[in-house]
Amino acid sequence: MKKVRVGAGSSGWPDYKDGALDVAKNGDIDYISFDHLAELTMAILQNQYAKDQTRGYIPEVIPLMRGLLPIWKEKDKHFKMCNNGGGANPPVCADEVLKLSQELNLGGIKIGVITGDTIPLSRVDELRKEGWKFKNADTGEEDIDRVRDKLLAAYAYTGADEIIEAYEQDANLVIGGRLSDNSLYCGNFMYPLGWKFTDEYWDRIGSAVCVGHLLECSSWSAGTCSNLWEEIDYPQGNPGFPIAEMDENGDCIVTKTKTSGGAIRVQTLKEHLVYEVHDPENYIMPDGIADLTQIKLEQVGKDEVKVTRLGDKPRGKPRPENLKFCLAYNDGYIAEEITIICGPKVFQQAEKAHEFVKRRIEYLGLKPREMLWSLIGWDSLCGPTVGPPPPDYDPPELGIRIAFKCDTQQEAQACRTECGHLCWASLGVGAGFTQPPRIRPVFALWPTLIPREAVPLELEIKEVK
Amino acid sequence: MAKKKIMLRDICYYRSGDKGDISNIGLMAKNEKAYEIIKREVTPERIKAHFKDWVKGDVIIYPMDNLQSLEIMLYEGLGGGATKTLRIDQTGKAMGNALSRMEIEVDESEL
Repeated sequence: MKKVRVGAGSSGWPDYKDGALDVAKNGDIDYISFDHLAELTMAILQNQYAKDQTRGYIPEVIPLMRGLLPIWKEKDKHFKMCNNGGGANPPVCADEVLKLSQELNLGGIKIGVITGDTIPLSRVDELRKEGWKFKNADTGEEDIDRVRDKLLAAYAYTGADEIIEAYEQDANLVIGGRLSDNSLYCGNFMYPLGWKFTDEYWDRIGSAVCVGHLLECSSWSAGTCSNLWEEIDYPQGNPGFPIAEMDENGDCIVTKTKTSGGAIRVQTLKEHLVYEVHDPENYIMPDGIADLTQIKLEQVGKDEVKVTRLGDKPRGKPRPENLKFCLAYNDGYIAEEITIICGPKVFQQAEKAHEFVKRRIEYLGLKPREMLWSLIGWDSLCGPTVGPPPPDYDPPELGIRIAFKCDTQQEAQACRTECGHLCWASLGVGAGFTQPPRIRPVFALWPTLIPREAVPLELEIKEVK
Repeated sequence: MAKKKIMLRDICYYRSGDKGDISNIGLMAKNEKAYEIIKREVTPERIKAHFKDWVKGDVIIYPMDNLQSLEIMLYEGLGGGATKTLRIDQTGKAMGNALSRMEIEVDESEL
């Protein structure tokens, strides 16, 4: 039976670089996928690109490739790679990798460069004139009128079509922009196994979407961030990245290298299968809609879990007509400050400081749009689920974190310095304070949909012979 | 039958994340009995009451029998979403821990 081994190479910016190198070196892989983008990253990269057209891609791609490409050569250039590290500027990212390949004397590499996922705001306006509404997928707001003037960037989450096309043209490496994390895996399963976007394959593509989801956060399915953390070990300090061996029926074994730490267990995969899924019967990705309630997980060996179809129902449905589309807009500024209170009576000191800050904001006439007061060591992560501290509880120290959201940078600065920072002096005789993080602009996201045909994707092959 | 108060963390594992301003929690029962308990006891109303003003919108629960898990969505649950929230936990990674603090009452014989 035909099988393909696909490894996880990266799940964000940054990730453990040695995880990818270990998979490439010791994972016996045919393909490897690198996701470098979080939801917000594209807005930051588009901003960089607008200021300087030699930037706008993920700079870490280059040191990662510096480590990886010599392994690729050592393996007779057997495995193929795809990433979304091109960000807002895939062509320049590809040029940099080509330069690197010459420096490393690799003797030829072919790179598929995918562009077109960034949509100019003028095109967004045109689509609206043609009658398309960018309805907010989270809030239900009908269109973007309220934020149109504040828009910074717009990008579509694209599918595996162009990755497959690049491999058909013998690309060794594919560099894209906002390729969806999941499609970086779907492409790597679909091309070698010959799966097409037709009725015969939706069940198997459903499996590819599911397994792509399992792999796309790299070490997260191999024991990091796990409920089993006490049992899971990293003897050399190197978390393992998952590898999926997928067969032509869409059944698969998820495993990892013996040279890495961590673990592949039913529980570690289950943890990821439920992660950020929403309606599990309709896990919507650009290449297909997976039904994750039809998946069976089974431990078949040490660090080997079989992922198969539970019963007779298909694991997938046809891919959606529209693509996910994100519009980023400017929405004020955030200032934050952390002060550490030294005991005794830490909660009483905190309460007094809270009162002081509230009064001082009023005294100075500042008008933050929002303010959040939280106690590190008590309720900063679990919020109101924690309740008030018991009367006899007095830990040796307690952190205060104050965060403000303001319309302007100046106002945010004033809130932080005048109220956040100087609050420490209102406390008892001793307190510690930290260097506050810089005032940060808020890039808010407007998640919506765009018709597939409105995203003009293009593939270009660049190479060094 | 003797009743006993337990926390969800006594019988469940959890992992949580985000999409926009929606907090998403996967609550995984440690065994079949625990799955029966959470399907019965973990309701949108109780979750809303547990999180108080940290969850402003609806709570939707999808059961996943194949994994003995509940997929739980908390709308308007992240203070505006990762890029807008003032919370330290911008992407809601600790919201699962927060849910796991929720207390339920069960018959001792069920455990």
